[in-house]
Amino acid sequence: MKKNVFLFFLALFAVLITGCQNDESDFPASDNPTILLSTKEIYGAPNRKFEIKAALADDLGLKSVRIQIPELFLDKTITFGTDPLIKSYDLSYFFEIPANRGTSEAFKIKLTVTDVSRNAVDENINLRLDGEFSAPAISMITPKEGAVILLSSSNEMPVNFVVNDDSGIDFIHVKCEALDIDEMIQLQGSPQSYTFNKTYTLPVTAANYVLTITARDKFVIPNTGTLNINVVATNEYPAIYLCDQPKGTNLTTDAVGVPMYFHEKNGQDFEFKYYADKDNKEIYFLGQESDFAPHCFGLNETGNLVDDVVSTPIILPTKGYYIIKVNPNTLVYSATKYTPSSKVWADIANGLWHDVEAQRRPFVSVCGAGIQGADWDTWTAWAQTGLHLANNPDNPYQLIGEYVLTGTMEATFTGQWWSPSWRLIKNGIATMSPGENGNAKYPAAPGTYKVILDTELERAFITTKK
Amino acid sequence: MKYKFIWLFITVLFSATAIGQITIKGTVKDKSAIPIPGVNVLVKGTTTSTATDYDGNYSIIVPNKEAQLEFSFIGFTTQLVKVDGKTVVDVVIQEASQALDEIIVVGYASVKKSDVTSSIASVKGKDLQTMTVGNVTESLQGKVAGVQVTGAGGPGAQPRVLIRGISTVNLNTDPLYVIDGIPMGTSINFLSSNEIESMEVLKDASASAIYGSRASNGVILITTKKGKIGKAKFNFDLNSGIQIMNNPYNMADAENYATIMNKAYTNAGYSAYLPNPEQYRGKTTDWWRAGIKQSASIANGSLGVSGGSEKHTYAISLNYFDSESFYEIGGWKRITMRIANDFKFSDKFSAGITLNPRYETWGAPTNWADFDKIDPITPIYKPADQLNGTENEYSIYARSPSYVWNPVAAVKRYDDYTNLYNLNTNAYLQYTPIKGLVIRTQGSIEVGDKVQSKFNPDFIIDAAHEKAEINSVERIATTNVDWTWQTTATYSKTFAEKHNASLMIGNTMEEYNGSDVSGYGEGVPNNSDSMREVNAATKNRSSKGNSWSSSIMSYISRFSYNYDGKYYVTGTFRRDGSSKFMANNKWANFPSASVSWRISNEGFMESTKSVLNDLRFRAGWGKVGNQNLPDAVYQSNIKQGYYTFDGNVVDTSYPSSMANKDIKWETVEDISFGLDFGLWKNKFSGSLEYYQKKTKDMLFLKQFPTYSGFPNYATIWTNVGSMGSNGIDILLSYKDKKGDFSYGADVTFTTVNIKMLALSTEGEKLYGSGNRTLTTKGEEPGFFYGYVADGLFQNQTELNAHTDQNGNKLQPYAQAGDIRFKDLNGDGKIDDKDRTKLGSPWPDYNVGLNLSFAYKQFDLIANFYSSIGNDIVNQNISDLYNGTSLTNKVSGLEQMAWHGEGTSNYVPRLSKDDNNENFSKFSSFYVEDGSYVRMKNLQVGYSFYNKFGFDKLRLSVSGQNLWTWTNYTGIDPEVGGGDPDKGDRVKGSGFGGWNYPILPTVLIGLNVAF
Repeated sequence: MKKNVFLFFLALFAVLITGCQNDESDFPASDNPTILLSTKEIYGAPNRKFEIKAALADDLGLKSVRIQIPELFLDKTITFGTDPLIKSYDLSYFFEIPANRGTSEAFKIKLTVTDVSRNAVDENINLRLDGEFSAPAISMITPKEGAVILLSSSNEMPVNFVVNDDSGIDFIHVKCEALDIDEMIQLQGSPQSYTFNKTYTLPVTAANYVLTITARDKFVIPNTGTLNINVVATNEYPAIYLCDQPKGTNLTTDAVGVPMYFHEKNGQDFEFKYYADKDNKEIYFLGQESDFAPHCFGLNETGNLVDDVVSTPIILPTKGYYIIKVNPNTLVYSATKYTPSSKVWADIANGLWHDVEAQRRPFVSVCGAGIQGADWDTWTAWAQTGLHLANNPDNPYQLIGEYVLTGTMEATFTGQWWSPSWRLIKNGIATMSPGENGNAKYPAAPGTYKVILDTELERAFITTKK
Repeated sequence: MKYKFIWLFITVLFSATAIGQITIKGTVKDKSAIPIPGVNVLVKGTTTSTATDYDGNYSIIVPNKEAQLEFSFIGFTTQLVKVDGKTVVDVVIQEASQALDEIIVVGYASVKKSDVTSSIASVKGKDLQTMTVGNVTESLQGKVAGVQVTGAGGPGAQPRVLIRGISTVNLNTDPLYVIDGIPMGTSINFLSSNEIESMEVLKDASASAIYGSRASNGVILITTKKGKIGKAKFNFDLNSGIQIMNNPYNMADAENYATIMNKAYTNAGYSAYLPNPEQYRGKTTDWWRAGIKQSASIANGSLGVSGGSEKHTYAISLNYFDSESFYEIGGWKRITMRIANDFKFSDKFSAGITLNPRYETWGAPTNWADFDKIDPITPIYKPADQLNGTENEYSIYARSPSYVWNPVAAVKRYDDYTNLYNLNTNAYLQYTPIKGLVIRTQGSIEVGDKVQSKFNPDFIIDAAHEKAEINSVERIATTNVDWTWQTTATYSKTFAEKHNASLMIGNTMEEYNGSDVSGYGEGVPNNSDSMREVNAATKNRSSKGNSWSSSIMSYISRFSYNYDGKYYVTGTFRRDGSSKFMANNKWANFPSASVSWRISNEGFMESTKSVLNDLRFRAGWGKVGNQNLPDAVYQSNIKQGYYTFDGNVVDTSYPSSMANKDIKWETVEDISFGLDFGLWKNKFSGSLEYYQKKTKDMLFLKQFPTYSGFPNYATIWTNVGSMGSNGIDILLSYKDKKGDFSYGADVTFTTVNIKMLALSTEGEKLYGSGNRTLTTKGEEPGFFYGYVADGLFQNQTELNAHTDQNGNKLQPYAQAGDIRFKDLNGDGKIDDKDRTKLGSPWPDYNVGLNLSFAYKQFDLIANFYSSIGNDIVNQNISDLYNGTSLTNKVSGLEQMAWHGEGTSNYVPRLSKDDNNENFSKFSSFYVEDGSYVRMKNLQVGYSFYNKFGFDKLRLSVSGQNLWTWTNYTGIDPEVGGGDPDKGDRVKGSGFGGWNYPILPTVLIGLNVAF
């Protein structure tokens, strides 16, 4: 009897234990999965993503793929669903190599593929960090982006640029469909530098052109760089800029206001309002925004205005505000000093946020994007005292400060609840509210910038802090 | 002092001088020959009475030899004994058959408990009086199966009472309270526990349908104390003690605060916020001690006298309740009086009138969280060098860089108090023209006046951030006049000895009228107390006023029948007409039916009688309604608002709500089954009940579609959707006595399952509480909805593995120590579609345990209450663990928070920036297990009988809410509903924050009867 009881419990426990077993693999035996790598050697570089590509397959169904690079702290498992079973999978996995790794380092990437029948297969891929991924650098000498070619003086367009690449240049391609330009220069060997210099003749009718320059290097995984240059061929200048920087200055590094866009235009009569912050201030007029060439208006040896990149600057004799008129066709200019009469925003450093308007004291800060600490709430503009502008002790019409820009920026200089406010629209124009709608976006490299809001000129100047 | 005079007056008024003829002595014992103290001995037909002492002895003077003595004691059958010339009368009294013959109130009638066919739970007033609470429903917690009570801290706060869960999403969830037959709305804050004789909870629709359109949340019937025939008996009760307010958090001191904030700043790449933390050592501002009292007093007192003759009985009580706030000011006081007179003019005519004048005053600051949140470096007062001597008394306080307003200053400025004056008069006239027919008419008038006075002084603590440039004063007066009139006729008859039938028909009328008027002004010349009047305001004076009214007229009927005490049938019918609805839906019918089979009375059960004393099966069905929506939703409304046109601010009007002339009540239909039993002479008894409820035509406040042209905030009430629920209520009770030792235990068990069955459109998602809860078809309403926090990233390997199948990072801003959110749908993005159900505010079940012990003159009771299986959102995490704000943090946070692999998998790394949205994303990080077990009450008492000139003197010591066992890390696991003004009453349940906690309370009590 005791034996029967013992057998009964033995059977009972056997059933229970069998029933409790966690037997996940309900799939029949199958062949090993397969891994077909797109390459056994991957080039990477610090602070850069690389791609692991492989075709995975299994006759029954894939369960997971595990990617490991222990030295780079990568241990990723991708698990596949089983309803329906996945028989093939194109692995495309990107991983960014930490910036602190050296270019001479190399690692093994281990891929482990498991199928639903618990068959597992490993594959190793070599990862080298000495890859070269920079596209050939195209340095444009002429024409610069936004260049203006005045057809009345010349209808020739010199194209001059230099291409550099560490791993060697494979080819250079210059193309402009409107001008029927299609130059393909296949280089021999692996030159690391190449200079292109050729002049094209333009039709005499005004038009806009896009010049596309493409260059490819000779790295094992070729890198291609492309540059588009917009060129305006015109019989009249669409705009004239006032530049108070010395010749040779890079005019693309400041965010806003350099060179300064004109204030008024009537035909080819351009009028600027300008503040000379010191005596004997030197200025030029430019026919394009981003470069001193091709049209730079200065003085010749006889003191007359000429369109010549070797001209000497016009000198404003004393510090103060000027009305400057210039006609690039007739080459006549005038500079007249004047005394501003617009409102002076004095004592803004002692501004006060207050619910009761009568007790409010104006301050000027900024709302916007791409400016560290700023958003579109005027309370933030008040609370972030680092954004507050101060009066320029040398010029009551200028409010000055320093901002840290984090990228492309937009701004409205403002007091409490947009009163007063100056919205920064295109071309550095900052008219006091109510002005034009639409804040302009200004690309800017992250960094610290000097800010000048000139309430007389209604212009903003945001320049790299040197 | 004046109360002493009242007491003396009453004493003189009602004292009686006995002229002795015969002195009778004797002893009262139970059938086990154990003396029973406290038995009431009354000379029949007179007001002469006494009570037995501890040894069961009594002595009483009777007028003559033929006198009769009536011996009565709760739980025993009242016994009448003739003196017959004896001078010693010893009595053995019989235990009542475990309260089966108790009379309980069922709505417009009273019946024997054994005859009840629906789900009604009864609690005696003395069981509610064991706790000292402002709102007596808090004392109900755990004592009734099927009733979930969530306490609310703070003087005058109202607990949330749910009877069998919820049956509505948008309307009030509180039950209807009916006091002495008069519906009194959804709050009984005004009622003292000392005024209550008994409380009956009508749980199912077959019981509550007689209250029709307001009964969907259940009905609680309260019977107040009435006079009993006998000489004047005085009763004095006083419970006084302290509520203990300990800081729920151990906040950082100044040095630790600096260390924590520096860590948050440097972790985010900024320079230290407060360099050299050690410089703040010993310079901590103890805000808590500066503004929060460690203890606040609480007192509940009552003086009553009752007595009377066969022609007239009376009960008068004066009740006082005072609960201080834990701030230096504020609290809640309540003084009520209840004067009940019942007259029996003849065998046919009787009448009664009860007067209930009440006075309440309340008001207290609510900013206690700020005492913890303000930084510990800022001093309370401005340093002397920042004062110029011209500041007013409210401007001498320092401003905190944490943007938390100086809480000590805020308490000093507080001036917002409300006084309430009410008088309720309730009278009836009863006529019995023939045997079995009772015609009763009852009327009640409630007149109330509430006056709220507010004053905000002007002050400048910081000209930019913390100031009121101009003071303001406001007074709001609200008046209500409500009346009720109800008339019933009841005919009861027994046919052929075994057929017992009763029919009641009646009519009720109720009208509720209210109006308010308020005055507001600014620029009072100074802040002195005497100037705090609207008349003193010099600027921006304005006034407002409104009135409202609603009424109900109803026809009611009940028929009940039983055969030989075995088979019971009851049917009720109510037809309600409400002013809240237009002609199409003005009237609605609310029927119910219930049956009961008392199996234990069957002949075939005779053999089980020695063990099974009572066994009964019940089943009921009924329909009830909910009309707790605003008074006039059938009207379109226009509101005033300001808009800007062409740069000018223009005062405009806009349509704010649209009329729905077809609006009608929410209807709840339920079925309920119950089994009641009593075993071993009813020592062990209980009931098990199961029910199912379904709500139809649910009321929702819906917005108009954009194409309708109405503003997007214009709304309309409409009947859409339905929800269902089911649950089980269990009550088990055991009582016994061994010699001098008696003991008892009641266990209540409540479980509720709720599901939305339909919403206005298929697939509709109703969000609540700032999109943190969701209500959808097939789920319980208001479940927590958000992202799943899957611990913290411990190292770079874990960060690198948190990608999609192509290696794109799911949380590109995450660093080690940040929360890992789950990509639930596997689409390689953490977005709205990864939100899921995170928990439920609704408990799986609630259990109450009520123990009672007595040994000789000692007695002890202990009440426990638990809520199991619910979750709570601990919103304070965002304040206490989050380095983005400058508010104070919990002490040692720099060690609690992740600061290296393996240091924490719960509190994220400290950081000034929350780029990974650890705190701003609502996730399971905030959701905690809200289960708890709380010792609600522990009371030890000692009674003296017939000592010191008193019939009874009892001293007691008790502790309330002394212990709570919970895993919830927030302030208090008793968390109720959300903000009803935002529609979150149900959809915002279970959000714990800086709510005023239920405080541990220690009390001493004195009860004197003479």
